Amino acid sequence: MSVPAIPQHKLFESPNCRTIEVNDWVITATTNPIASAADCDALQATLSMPLPEMTFSRNSLELEHRPSGWKYSFSTKDALKAVKAGELGEGDGGVKVNYADAWLKSRTDPSSQLPLPEVSLTKPYDWTYTTTYPGHTSPDSGSSASWNDADPEDNSHSIPISELMRPDPILFYAEIPLFEDELHDNGSSNLLVRIRVMPTCIFILCRFTLRVDNVLFRTYDTRLYHSFSSALPTLVRESSGWEAPYDRVKRLLPKRNDLTPLTDPMWIAKVLSELPLEVSQGIGAGTKWRGLGTHVDVIRLA
Amino acid sequence: MPSDLNNRQIEQLARCEPISEEQVKILCLKAREILVEEGNVQVIDSPVTICGDIHGQFFDLMELFRVGGSCPQTNYLFMGDFVDRGFYSVETLLLLLALKVRYPERITLIRGNHESRQITQVYGFYDECQRKYGSSNVWRWCCEVFDYLALGAIVDGRVFCVHGGLSPNLSSIDQIRAIDRKQEVPHDGPMCDLLWSDPDDIQGWGLSPRGAGFLFGADPAQKFAHHNSIDLIARAHQLAMEGYKLMFDRTIVTVWSAPNYCYRCGNVASILELDEHLAQEYKVFQAAPSDVRSIPTKRPPADYFL
Repeated sequence: MSVPAIPQHKLFESPNCRTIEVNDWVITATTNPIASAADCDALQATLSMPLPEMTFSRNSLELEHRPSGWKYSFSTKDALKAVKAGELGEGDGGVKVNYADAWLKSRTDPSSQLPLPEVSLTKPYDWTYTTTYPGHTSPDSGSSASWNDADPEDNSHSIPISELMRPDPILFYAEIPLFEDELHDNGSSNLLVRIRVMPTCIFILCRFTLRVDNVLFRTYDTRLYHSFSSALPTLVRESSGWEAPYDRVKRLLPKRNDLTPLTDPMWIAKVLSELPLEVSQGIGAGTKWRGLGTHVDVIRLA
Repeated sequence: MPSDLNNRQIEQLARCEPISEEQVKILCLKAREILVEEGNVQVIDSPVTICGDIHGQFFDLMELFRVGGSCPQTNYLFMGDFVDRGFYSVETLLLLLALKVRYPERITLIRGNHESRQITQVYGFYDECQRKYGSSNVWRWCCEVFDYLALGAIVDGRVFCVHGGLSPNLSSIDQIRAIDRKQEVPHDGPMCDLLWSDPDDIQGWGLSPRGAGFLFGADPAQKFAHHNSIDLIARAHQLAMEGYKLMFDRTIVTVWSAPNYCYRCGNVASILELDEHLAQEYKVFQAAPSDVRSIPTKRPPADYFL
């Protein structure tokens, strides 16, 4: 198969920022160190919850479609705004660490040698930082275009995997971590945005991965796809959430004694998406998390 | 252990070369003999340099020694979390143990929550031992040493040092001295709290939203300090972008000594120097210049992700 023509494009680089101008698009990836104490305090006040240990508050990915003025971004602050701050309810998929019951019992049992002190109620929030954030329309976007449910009969409303599997040259590539937390050594929560601009398309994956040791695995993926050849400029956005009990995933390790795949978001996502859907998108890990399932929508610019 | 063997081990480890399995065994046995004699709260005289989490970032530990002076010229206290996450937990831990064996009066090691069988199996040290030695023996011997590490230290009777924080069941340092520490880090109880709890801007004691573990506010910290005639509580355990973080009207400080944590956070690290009058000086340092064999390239290679 012939290599597609490479569109004209320009790259701009600085240590913390990279931009590509290609066809009608300007795309900028910004990566910086984690938030300073001052940034943390300010952000914490806005969000009213403790921040992830590694909060890359100044990282972002920004897309601009010049003819329509449409702008779309992925930012740490907005991703964290989508995390439940406050008491968790039905659908939030809240969990406790696996030894929580034993821990509490050891402190509250009438015969306990270690009675619980008088404790103040710490403000509840989702300590797993679960987020279904799919990116957001930038406040300064100049377009009023809106997302609509995809038509399953329309081929242009789905992401063409075969095109993305073609080893065409990658014109622009970036990984933008938004946040990461090790859950106080009870697992890991992280949100990573990746982009590749290909000769024929733009493709973005925003992936949330959660592991709570001995409790569950959870993945939430948002994929954004734009074909440069679409007659009317269109983006397809596919969001999928999966979940499964920890042991169910652990049983699928290639080598029983090598636990390293359990810390690999790619491996976790692969295993979760290959489990029977009634497991990974149905009962999940029994948390009734509303993120389970798949949804596709599209936006037409201009 | 003959001191020339010990010196050779130090030299070899300081080049980031692991020592033989047989030598690890000897070193761990000797370290245990020394540590078993130490109290749960090791008593230290100033001046001393206090260090926080290292997490297997060997070349950054070398940078720390460059900034703080070498051992034994400088008297060191490391507040735990020597292993896991970085690429060189084996060399980092063994070098610290070899220094401990060589200069027991000039370096103090206390236990962090990562000095545990359970945690090291998930966060890297176990895998690294398997990879570098082809068996889990080295990991097993090191874990036996972990069980003997002190739980805290006190400098001149005025500065209390611990990995995590306080426990609602421990109001005095003497109560810490009464704990039977020679065990795996338990999931609950006062020993667990010392290695796991965190200060937070709350009133009194708080329950972690995770469902286990404590948070403590300014009043328990100040009460503990007052009750034990302490000027300062020094702890580690939490990443601080600026390398250290003072809280509660300077009653407590978090010291963090792993720069560019996990090779991607971009944070600076610090060590706390206490002089003979216990005056505090925080020395901030950056990650070691990147070493071709040690650190993943800054920019990830382009990847055909789907």
